[in-house]
Amino acid sequence: MTEKIRPFNLAVLVYMSQVGIVVFTLPRTLADYFGTNGWLFLIPCFLLVSFNIYLISCVYRLGKGRSVFDILEQSVPKLLLYPLYAALITVWMLFGCVIGKKYVLLFQMLAFPTTNPMVFKLMFDLLAFMLIIKGIYAISRAATMFFWITLWMYLLLLWVLPDFNWVRLTPFILQGGHDQIKGGLEVYGAFLGYEMSLLLFPYISKAKGSMAAIQAGNAYLSFSYINLGLISFGIFSQDQLKQLLYPLLDILAYIQFPFVERLENLLYGFFLFLVLITAVMYWWGALETARRILPRLKQQVLTFMLLGITYSISFIPKTIDEVNTWIGFLGNVTIGIAFGLPLLLITLLLIQKKGEKRDG
Amino acid sequence: MVKRIAAMLALVLLLTGCSTDQRILDRLGMVQTAAFDSTEGGKLLVTASIPVIDPNTEEHREILQAETDSVKEARLVFSRQTDLRVVSGQMRELLFGMDLAEKGLWKYVETQLRDPSVGFSVKLTIVDGKAGELLAAEHKPHADTGRYITHLLEKEASGNNIPATTLYEFSRDYNDDGIDVIAPIVSDGSDKVRVSGIALFAGDRMVMRVPVKEGLIFALCRGKLKRGEAALDLEGQSGKREVAVFSSVTSKRKVKVHRLPDGRFKVDLYVSLQGSVLDYTGQRTLKEEADRHELEKEVALSIEDKAEQLIRQMQQKKTDALGLGQYVRNSLSYKAWEDMDWREMYPEVEVKCHAKVKIKDYGKYM
Repeated sequence: MTEKIRPFNLAVLVYMSQVGIVVFTLPRTLADYFGTNGWLFLIPCFLLVSFNIYLISCVYRLGKGRSVFDILEQSVPKLLLYPLYAALITVWMLFGCVIGKKYVLLFQMLAFPTTNPMVFKLMFDLLAFMLIIKGIYAISRAATMFFWITLWMYLLLLWVLPDFNWVRLTPFILQGGHDQIKGGLEVYGAFLGYEMSLLLFPYISKAKGSMAAIQAGNAYLSFSYINLGLISFGIFSQDQLKQLLYPLLDILAYIQFPFVERLENLLYGFFLFLVLITAVMYWWGALETARRILPRLKQQVLTFMLLGITYSISFIPKTIDEVNTWIGFLGNVTIGIAFGLPLLLITLLLIQKKGEKRDG
Repeated sequence: MVKRIAAMLALVLLLTGCSTDQRILDRLGMVQTAAFDSTEGGKLLVTASIPVIDPNTEEHREILQAETDSVKEARLVFSRQTDLRVVSGQMRELLFGMDLAEKGLWKYVETQLRDPSVGFSVKLTIVDGKAGELLAAEHKPHADTGRYITHLLEKEASGNNIPATTLYEFSRDYNDDGIDVIAPIVSDGSDKVRVSGIALFAGDRMVMRVPVKEGLIFALCRGKLKRGEAALDLEGQSGKREVAVFSSVTSKRKVKVHRLPDGRFKVDLYVSLQGSVLDYTGQRTLKEEADRHELEKEVALSIEDKAEQLIRQMQQKKTDALGLGQYVRNSLSYKAWEDMDWREMYPEVEVKCHAKVKIKDYGKYM
């Protein structure tokens, strides 16, 4: 691994692995669980994620950029670590898998109602496979390219701006919601993906800006989420937003040209780039961890095995509801990992430091 | 090698995978306009107009009709009547008969919203009488009545006089507790289709109609205008009827809410309007500035008068089509608003309209 990921590409990679399938449902989740002006809830989420990334950068500084696996293996016996690795592999693999499956199911609903979704899923997995075997540097380059390809889509929001009305936002702050904890986890899940930067330590350039780049990626994501939330609350009425399963699809569907209706079919395709990188990053994380258990296996073979297993698992959840349940559960576990893993690493590093001092 | 195999596999899948979802344009019947009426038996009469793209025939469209219980069931009946595959992906316009509109439209609108192939920008229009009959009738020289109505309403909406209502707007305002739905009304004028007013709803039932003549007053009160045109009737000095014709009207609306000591609400509606006068049939000459100012005042008074009259009628019918409730809501606390029954409170509200008119220019001739 000669080439390192530069800060800009890192920021883009973090952003691209964060933005995923949840963006389609996000405004609805906010309106349903948090009531009036629910988009405001994105701000504490953003701050919490920033704090979480700060923890990650603490690991980076304390560990002097060493791989997190090296840090773990230095203090914890492998016998204890392997179950942890296995758990990480399972969660990340499945999470990537259900994200892909949901994208495929939505795509199928929109455009190909009777085609077997697993055909599309296979295509999705093939694309992911080809990206993953090229290594993380290639993934980050691809993510940057995809970023430029999809950037213009924010301009589409301008289309609905004439229908924006401040009056609809109401002056009430977070009134009329329910089950805020459940909703909070769901909204927080929309930010997930940044925790993969933990595994990126050996691959990023030692330049100062790297940790700031992770924060920047998250800040950009939060900015676009807040924009989307604000606009959704201003163009839809509160109760209407609660009834729209995929508000973003409806926004896209509102864009109309005289010669063609249902542009959202076309535009939805562009979201493949965003979802693909998210899934790829989780699978890459699972692969990195698996390589610790099976270091001698060729990387291509290992990737093929992992993706083969996830592909067969993705046959199980058949309906959108089932997939949502899986995403909800795995999302909560992933949130646990996002906070737990850096905390564990910081504890280990502090113990190691103490040991070093005593030895020295 | 891996790449080559993957590419082969991908190709094979692409070629075979979507065979069931194949769409051949010539074999599709793309419904552009659908009309809904209630029948005497309490069922739903659905009429659809499908453009025919066959160079060998004189016909430009095919009319399908079905009497069913559900909106989407009609599509199944349609496909038994035609050799085309009926799809609703290119739908532009929904027409509802008056009797249906008076009974409530939400359940029909909801079905359309659920259908992933129907976009938010589909327009929704009320027909004076039977919607199906209007759609099936021939209106020469327009070959396709459905498209004719769509274009007619698009043009009217761009002049801001009669607002066009899309599925998005219908569901947005229906689900907002501070505003009621509106929709344009068209009627069959033998050889022409005419825009004949605005339907105002309470909930999903149509309860009132604003005639075309008052369309501008209504539009001024409801929101911003960008490019309106209007003929305003004035009571002349000698009691004679005078008309001032305005074009390029732009307007703004402001709403202020106060609470009266007795607990009722007072709403001040500020309307400011700018435009050029093209024609004026009264005594004054437009070249004198003082005269123009007087005319401005007179027009403003006339607008205030008519607007208040219109609002009183709306209050009697309990339809808050101007969205005053949104402003009342925003002046209250969340709890106070939730505890209040706005529809019952609304008729009690005291509404005062303040109009300000500015004549930008009066053409190029003294």
